[in-house]
Amino acid sequence: MARSQAPMRRHEARLPYFLLIPGLFLLVGMLYPFFLGVYYSLTNYFLQYPHLFRFIWLDNYIKLLGDSFFAYSLKFTLAYTLVAVVTQVGLGLGVALLLNSRIIGRSGLRAIMLMPLMMPPVITALMWKIMMASSRAGILNHLLSFLGVGPVNWLGDVNSAILSIFIIDTWGNLPFVSLILLGGLQSLPYEPFEAARVDGAAGWGIFRYITLPLLKPFIILAATFRVMDSLRIFDVIYAATVGGPADATMNLHMRAFFYAFQWYQMGMGMAYAMVLLALVFLASYFLMGYWKRAAEQTTI
Amino acid sequence: MKRAFGRRWRMGAAFLFLGGWLFGGGMEAKGAQPDLSYFQQAKINWKQFAGEKLTIGLNKHSYTESLLPLIPEFEALTGIKVEYLILPENEYFSKLIADLSNQRGEFTVIMTGPMRNWGYAPPGWIIPLDEFLNDPKLTDKAWYKPEDFFPGLIAANRWSGKIGGGTGEGPLWSIPVMAESYILAYRKDIFDQYKIKVPKTYEEMAEAARLVKKHAGIDGIIARGTPNTPTIATGYISGLKSYTDGQWAEVDEKMNARLSDPRVVKFTQMWIDMLRESGPANWANITWYDGMETFAAGLAGMYPDCDFFAATFENPQKSKVAGKVGYALLPPGPAGKTYSGLWTWALGMSKATKNKGAAWLFIQWATCPRTLLHATIEHRNYNPTRISVMNDPRTQTVLGSWGKGAYIKTVQENLKTARVAWVPNPERSRLGDIWARALHEIYFKRLSAQEALKRADDEINKVLSDVGLRK
Repeated sequence: MARSQAPMRRHEARLPYFLLIPGLFLLVGMLYPFFLGVYYSLTNYFLQYPHLFRFIWLDNYIKLLGDSFFAYSLKFTLAYTLVAVVTQVGLGLGVALLLNSRIIGRSGLRAIMLMPLMMPPVITALMWKIMMASSRAGILNHLLSFLGVGPVNWLGDVNSAILSIFIIDTWGNLPFVSLILLGGLQSLPYEPFEAARVDGAAGWGIFRYITLPLLKPFIILAATFRVMDSLRIFDVIYAATVGGPADATMNLHMRAFFYAFQWYQMGMGMAYAMVLLALVFLASYFLMGYWKRAAEQTTI
Repeated sequence: MKRAFGRRWRMGAAFLFLGGWLFGGGMEAKGAQPDLSYFQQAKINWKQFAGEKLTIGLNKHSYTESLLPLIPEFEALTGIKVEYLILPENEYFSKLIADLSNQRGEFTVIMTGPMRNWGYAPPGWIIPLDEFLNDPKLTDKAWYKPEDFFPGLIAANRWSGKIGGGTGEGPLWSIPVMAESYILAYRKDIFDQYKIKVPKTYEEMAEAARLVKKHAGIDGIIARGTPNTPTIATGYISGLKSYTDGQWAEVDEKMNARLSDPRVVKFTQMWIDMLRESGPANWANITWYDGMETFAAGLAGMYPDCDFFAATFENPQKSKVAGKVGYALLPPGPAGKTYSGLWTWALGMSKATKNKGAAWLFIQWATCPRTLLHATIEHRNYNPTRISVMNDPRTQTVLGSWGKGAYIKTVQENLKTARVAWVPNPERSRLGDIWARALHEIYFKRLSAQEALKRADDEINKVLSDVGLRK
């Protein structure tokens, strides 16, 4: 009896290692491109000139420090992320509160709200590009003309192009933020609200001192996703402005793309990509820590 | 029970009817054998690579649309199976360069062109086609008629490999399947109504744009304006080359950038002023497609760009200006000649291709007189690259109807002096991107034309030095 159990035990001992194999493949599949990217960023790899390939240590990164185009792209990426996330989370909270209240046609509104989420960002951008035509033929300018405004040169001017990218991005991603916050609102416990009402609190007071603190982990979660996406925004910019006019919407991701896939300068393209990756990692690391603390504080 | 049986019977009949309708058509189409007698006149064995498989890389383009319906004919002729991948232009070139640089050989036949070959030939990613063309086992030259191609288009696809020169010399890297040169499409009805002169100088062009805007209330002119090479590559560079009588080039023989040449500064200032004053407000965001659609919608007076856009302008289903468009050469320079740029889409072969014989049979079939004729007269592939296709009465009837004969006359005149506008070098696209950004700096008045073009010169020189092209 003991004899027949021994192979069984050996099999059981090996089982976890077998089960780990798919995970191992996944890990290698994820880490290999990452380390290859890091390696390329330390080389002067030009696709079209393989004979020039050599390891140049941190030269690409040192060049970035003195590059005014990099400085602009970094500044634009960070500023855009800050403005986009604050606005989208703020508006998303408003929409979530609206859809959580007892209004007529609430379920219909919730379904409509999800529509932008179903559209690929490139299609969203192209659709808006048509609507943002600079003449009166563009539907947005046509509508604005009834208010005596415009025509606005949406995508053809340095400042309005940035605003246009922001509008397109917000339209596409607001439902995502609203969805997370609506889910959060619906999962909040009843007791604190009931207790507050018994104590005479109402309206703004309840929102400020009960809803908002309890919703904090959800707000941070939504903000974390939006920070990561806003830092990496690419498809909307590529389809709507190609980084223009005059480089106004050329963020780090666009510039990494241009270096790597338009100019075939993989070394510098990867250096840009690594800077972006570092920014995304740092931002998400701090925000996730903040989220964890907020979640612990709100757990009763 | 009887009712249920009846319902099932009806459903079965409907199913059979639907199946017959769906598959009957398909079988009928499959059953129709293409007439291969023309191809079988060639003294080669078309079946010598039967059973092999080819993967063709194709850009989403009107030429591609004209090629696809003809491919079953090649498969029936050779027994070679053809698969293809069609991607939008930017994605196509990104995927192509990834395939070529790794020499994976995923694409056996590629869609390329002269300026692209400058990047693919030096690292040895593509192979010359002369050896296939001159091999009697693979090509019946008397049947194929290589001399039937417009000589300038074949010359554009030859390159010696010399950085800074060598176009029209050395190996043939690809065979042209469609050609474009750059002309002026203008609203003849508006020009006639308001007695506006068709421009013969660039100053007159600016004046015509002003008058169209003033009288007709639409943009006087439209041109590409996105911050990348296409903004430079058509009307603007053709105008500049004409303005300088074909004597100026963007780099000198030592590969030093020459954008801050006084003639370039003057022309660029004039071009940008014209666009700012009479062009679309969103010029900086205009792609070739936006320009074509805007002109076809009747919202612009002139469009200095690809000649074959006329196919859209003259199609009443896609255009509000069909029959109202005039075509003219871009204004010449002081010596009286126009020097338009030139581009051909062409078929080439990756060096990593394993079945090169089969790949050549495909290129030979796709570029032979009959296939290119069918692509043009049945599937609207304009402009043709073979003289016989251009001279075919059916082609002449279609092209001759555009602009009441002005289109074909203008294109034939243009092709006499049209040539690849750029100096051969693998960094052409990067150079064009830098140049286009300089145009934006001028347009938005951040820098003067002199400052912006000087800064572009410095940046280009640095790029060319970094990759060892500057001597």
